Amino acid sequence: MFDFFKASSQVLGMNARNLTYIRPNNLSNTKKLADDKILSKKMLRQNGVPVPRLIAQISSVSTLENFDWTTLPESFVLKPNQGLGGAGILIVYGRKKGTNNAWVKSSGKVVTTQDIIEHVRNILDGAFSLSNAPDTAFFEERLRLASELRPYSYKGIPDIRIIIYNKVPVMAMLRLPTKESDGKANLQQGGIGVGIDMATGTTTTAVLGKSKLIDYIPGSRMLLRGIQIPHWEDMLHLAVKAQIASKLGFLGADIAIDRERGPVFLELNARPGLSIQVANMAGLKKRLERIEGLSIKSVEHGVRVGKNLFGGEIEKNLEKTSGKSVIGSVEEITLIGKNGKEIEVRAKIDTGAYSSSIDEELAVKLGYEKVLQQWNKIDTEEYKLTKENQKEIQKEILDKYSKSIDDLSDVATVFSSSGSTIRPVVKCSFVMDKKKISAQMNIVDRQHMKYSMIIGKKNLYKFLVDVSK
Amino acid sequence: MASPCIYNSKEVSCLVQHIMEQSVPVETVTILLLFPIIATLVVLLRQVIGMHAFGIYTPSIIAIAFIAIGQNNPSNIKHAVTVYLVVLIVGMLMRYALKKLRLLYLPRVAITITVVTLSVLAVLTFAGSLSRVGFAGADLFPILIIITLVEKFVSVQIEKGSRAAIILAAETLIIALVGYLLLSTSTAIGTKVTDFILRYPYAILMLIPFHVFLGKWTGLRAAEYIRFHEVLKKIR
Repeated sequence: MFDFFKASSQVLGMNARNLTYIRPNNLSNTKKLADDKILSKKMLRQNGVPVPRLIAQISSVSTLENFDWTTLPESFVLKPNQGLGGAGILIVYGRKKGTNNAWVKSSGKVVTTQDIIEHVRNILDGAFSLSNAPDTAFFEERLRLASELRPYSYKGIPDIRIIIYNKVPVMAMLRLPTKESDGKANLQQGGIGVGIDMATGTTTTAVLGKSKLIDYIPGSRMLLRGIQIPHWEDMLHLAVKAQIASKLGFLGADIAIDRERGPVFLELNARPGLSIQVANMAGLKKRLERIEGLSIKSVEHGVRVGKNLFGGEIEKNLEKTSGKSVIGSVEEITLIGKNGKEIEVRAKIDTGAYSSSIDEELAVKLGYEKVLQQWNKIDTEEYKLTKENQKEIQKEILDKYSKSIDDLSDVATVFSSSGSTIRPVVKCSFVMDKKKISAQMNIVDRQHMKYSMIIGKKNLYKFLVDVSK
Repeated sequence: MASPCIYNSKEVSCLVQHIMEQSVPVETVTILLLFPIIATLVVLLRQVIGMHAFGIYTPSIIAIAFIAIGQNNPSNIKHAVTVYLVVLIVGMLMRYALKKLRLLYLPRVAITITVVTLSVLAVLTFAGSLSRVGFAGADLFPILIIITLVEKFVSVQIEKGSRAAIILAAETLIIALVGYLLLSTSTAIGTKVTDFILRYPYAILMLIPFHVFLGKWTGLRAAEYIRFHEVLKKIR
């Protein structure tokens, strides 16, 4: 119980956020800038931060009445200039075929010009702004989803929230839109928040909505851990640059990745939410206190400090909680051959492959010379291998040769872009990151490949792969 | 120049007596003196417990309305809660009913208020027909105050969604009821508190240092211990 309260001094609560961090660091005129999306867009662009292109803005009923709706592009985003928490945002994917006054939303629903006029009218009336103050509506370019993040997002575009304090990126999370959040990435609206390791830009833990911890995207087998955020380094730089330009001392930077433009700065947030702590399973207050009073000389310096101080910690935690060790995409391993002979090799970790394979030459060194010699006498070409008959062929060969060929423990069929092959499989264990794995390896000619061994999914169940390592 | 206090009663302080001598009704004095206490309660529940409600004004004024309604007849409080719920339910239904009409904000709220008022009137009539004394005994203004809650509810519903609005309305109701229990003369604790405040009205000033303390307090709220319990478990 006492520990619990001690831990609470590391977590940032509403009271401390407002009083200690927002009040002294985000002065009211800079807060006004952050709340005015059109103005902050302009300011950021002038300071060399890429932002979504402004298409048009409507600030009065008369402009609305005279607006030429045919000037709108195929797809766009309609936003209230002073909207809160992602409310009032309308995302349009494309013009409905054969019409010039109807569009299709992310949900597949059709919106007509009349619907859009109504929406703009509500925005002008202040239906989405703080205390119903009259507001301006604007149209901006719709960003295109980057292919790296495509599998993880439902319809809308994911974005990355980075908290910056004293020019140092402190904590970050990837926000994924879900069915419930209607293509918007805000956690308040039911999106998913995924914690990010500051040093490497790989994701760690995830939260659905405000506080539900999850491992996979609901209703799918998409693991939320270990996603490498593309352009991570650039993103950290943009975030720090935006903080310096906006003069917001305590900033929540929202950055999205466009398929063609790369990282694009979406929004300045003067009152960043606290759920980022749940997504990262870490306390923000402790991190903020660590960089209090540091004198940061440049954008690069700030990024470096953030990466050094707040990276890796999570990796250790991850190993502790999952019981799995984190490995990179290439690992030094020790193979244990037929008579206990040990050979050290650099192996490629290939999560795209199911089983592990070793090069013929390596197999010979490990003591599987005879297997190879006898295998090579078999004419595997005579089997017409297809995905349908692979099981039968495997069984047929195994039944026929398992007695005559010592050490042949199985037969593998592998389909790849360079053609399908039938390979002999031997038992062979290896040691990676101090863990011994008993594995079955298929033997293949990898002479022209960079690595003489690949380790596939089947033998990786004790590990988590960090692709940036 | 205030007239001098001739005798210091055990019941009320000199100051309160003086005010009452100027023909200010005792109910008015009591409720005005209770208002800062209710405001303090709302602040305490927000900063320390983490209950949000509709700001500070709405829960305070609803609590006052409850106290006023319960003053003559404590059993009226259940009617007051009924009215509160009717206002919210009708307000919410009206939002869905009016959605398709695509009206501007204020006219839409006006229609909502009209329907809500008529519903409340129906409830009052029904409640009156059930008991002889009836709810009709309750004053107009407390009821009106509860009705105006609907605007707040509708605007929150638009801004943050129905779920958030319902949670905030529930929190507001709880705060108002806590205020009623602690401060109404028809409850045991409430009688003690009101007696105390009429005897020592200056005690109200003691609340200000407490407000300052709450205004500087940066600890986690009780609700945040729940919200971050996974994180706290992990990092301890």
